[in-house]
Amino acid sequence: MPRFKLTHQWASVGAVLLLIVLLAIPGILWRSQQLTDVRANYRSPMAPVFLVPGSSATQNRFNDLVKELNAKTKTKHSLLRVEVMTNGQLKMSGTIRPGDQRPFIVVGFEDRRDGTANILRQAQWFTIAFKALQQTYHFNHFSAMGHSNGGLVLTLFMERDLAATKAHAERLMTIASPFNLEEPNPQVDTPLFKQLVAGRQNLPQQLVVYSIAGTETYGGDGIVPFDSVDRGKYIFQKRVQHFTQITVTGADAKHAGLPENQQIVKLIRQDLLN
Amino acid sequence: MTENVNRLGNWLITGEVRWRRNRQVAAIYRGLRTILPLIVLGTFAEFINQAWLEPNGYYYQTLHVARWMLQRVRVQEAVLLLQNGTLGLAAIGLAFVISHDLVATATPVTNDQMAAGFTAVLGFELININPLTLAVGKPVQWLAMDLGLHGLPVGVLIGLLVGNVYRWIVLRWRQPANQLLRPMTLSLSGMVLMGLTGMLWLLRQPFSIRAAFNTLIRWPLQLSNDVWRLLDFSALNGWFTWLGVLGPIPTTPNQTQAQAENLAAAIQHSGWHLPHPLTVQSVIQTYASMGGPGMTLGLVLAIFLVRHNAEQRQIGWLTLISTLGNFNAPLLLGLPVVLSPILGIPLLLAPLATILVSSGFLAAHWIPAAAYPLAVGTPGPLIGYLGTSGALTPLLLAALDLALSTAIYYPFVKWASLAQARAEEEAQAHATI
Repeated sequence: MPRFKLTHQWASVGAVLLLIVLLAIPGILWRSQQLTDVRANYRSPMAPVFLVPGSSATQNRFNDLVKELNAKTKTKHSLLRVEVMTNGQLKMSGTIRPGDQRPFIVVGFEDRRDGTANILRQAQWFTIAFKALQQTYHFNHFSAMGHSNGGLVLTLFMERDLAATKAHAERLMTIASPFNLEEPNPQVDTPLFKQLVAGRQNLPQQLVVYSIAGTETYGGDGIVPFDSVDRGKYIFQKRVQHFTQITVTGADAKHAGLPENQQIVKLIRQDLLN
Repeated sequence: MTENVNRLGNWLITGEVRWRRNRQVAAIYRGLRTILPLIVLGTFAEFINQAWLEPNGYYYQTLHVARWMLQRVRVQEAVLLLQNGTLGLAAIGLAFVISHDLVATATPVTNDQMAAGFTAVLGFELININPLTLAVGKPVQWLAMDLGLHGLPVGVLIGLLVGNVYRWIVLRWRQPANQLLRPMTLSLSGMVLMGLTGMLWLLRQPFSIRAAFNTLIRWPLQLSNDVWRLLDFSALNGWFTWLGVLGPIPTTPNQTQAQAENLAAAIQHSGWHLPHPLTVQSVIQTYASMGGPGMTLGLVLAIFLVRHNAEQRQIGWLTLISTLGNFNAPLLLGLPVVLSPILGIPLLLAPLATILVSSGFLAAHWIPAAAYPLAVGTPGPLIGYLGTSGALTPLLLAALDLALSTAIYYPFVKWASLAQARAEEEAQAHATI
């Protein structure tokens, strides 16, 4: 009976090979979708943290903050400072250390004046810097922190230009950002606030937002009224994945001192960098 | 047996039979046989969990499990319960059976055999706790059940240690005053000794076994030459697999970064000029691990090609599903390949041969290197195809590698089956005498 036995061997091998082919079918059918899935889920090794200062502050605004953050975290992050000139040119100082996957990138502006028109222009300048940096460093996800009007610049960027860059915004922290500018009357909506609310549908749904308010008095941090910061909820709530509002009081709760406030430094480490 | 066997085969068969005659090896093999159902079930659960219920699983992605499966989280919990329960018990059971069997070769007294088994189990438990939870007022966290497949070699070592010491004393203390005295004395003193040893070990923690092991097994990955690095890594891995250290292929931060850079290049640029064409992922995981570490899909095909090997075939069918998903622990422990001199040779050689061939193809740019993330449980020959997102040449190379490994396994499987038959004949003859 050797012939029968021989057939028997090959029948088993054939069965195993057939099973492999059967199990491979779903994979072959899925392949066309694989590329889309991989691209959608792909995250570059580098995910920078953008820091944007408020009006009248320069790209050196966060030097001390970064020094302090680096002293308190295990991995030291490099610091790149970018100044966007009014003609769209970029001036850079500092470097990103090779292999540093979470560098800080401070984006400041030559024209640092306050006011709606300039904030809108700064948002466009930020986009120019973002695109150039993206091309150089090949990142496709990032987090960001903005102090004062810097938070408005970042929010405007995310509403207007983020989608075109195909980058994923992960976390946004705004510190004392006046979403209704310095308007003291809660009944009045400034034009910029109206624009921010109108564009909220463009905010990425996966974004996690923290809005921090400082209160030196019951009404605000000395410059920005609490109500103006509080209005962030009309922009982010029910649109982004999580929106958390935090109020910080006590020492250093004045508007200009907030980025160095120990409570806030702790929040940055805990919520933005972790 | 009328099989024609050449001189090498004969020499290996004789060696294997002699090896199996060894008391320690026989006890380990009996232990493996006893826990096999646990391993088969536990590995099957692991395969279901990782390939069907985890987002990076092959079936999860290709069959869109998330869309149609109800209560997926609950199902996953149940599967995990089964996986952890069975694999955790397997290691403890192995310690018990080995110690029990070693004593059984010295005395027919059941109490002694049981006492030896339980002393081993206690020893296994006592050195596997979380030392941080060992404080007054805190519930102790036992890790013994959580070691999974990694617990098996520990179980073997403790079983051998306790069983041999117990046996040595039994052989010298032949006539106790009554049936209770010897097992009571030995198990009590053994357990106290185990407790003290465990305590000392936990207090001192001279080194972390896992960290030391990881450093050792990753060492070849630091070599500079790409191909040598992969060959050495594979050989060392194969050697550990043979010793019973089972599980997925380990990796290092460097390798992970190389893979990330490959993926970035594949996504950002068209064409297939990857910065690191020869990595653990692009060579070993893609072309040398079909059916799990050791290229055991070739072993399965060889088993079904060999004649007169009913027992091997049964193990082959029993473990087929998980082996096709690259979870090969039941196959390696069932045949067994683990600690078998004959099957250990192709276990080392088959991956080495496929690494050489595949590295050659990749280095010559005849095929694109796999850069896309591998889905867990992908049928072996398909890994290269999906890793390159649809290139056809990797399928051909995979077929070549599979055929090559089958050819390498074939003679050894035949000899292992003859050795097994001869060992069983011997055992029967021994029993009838």
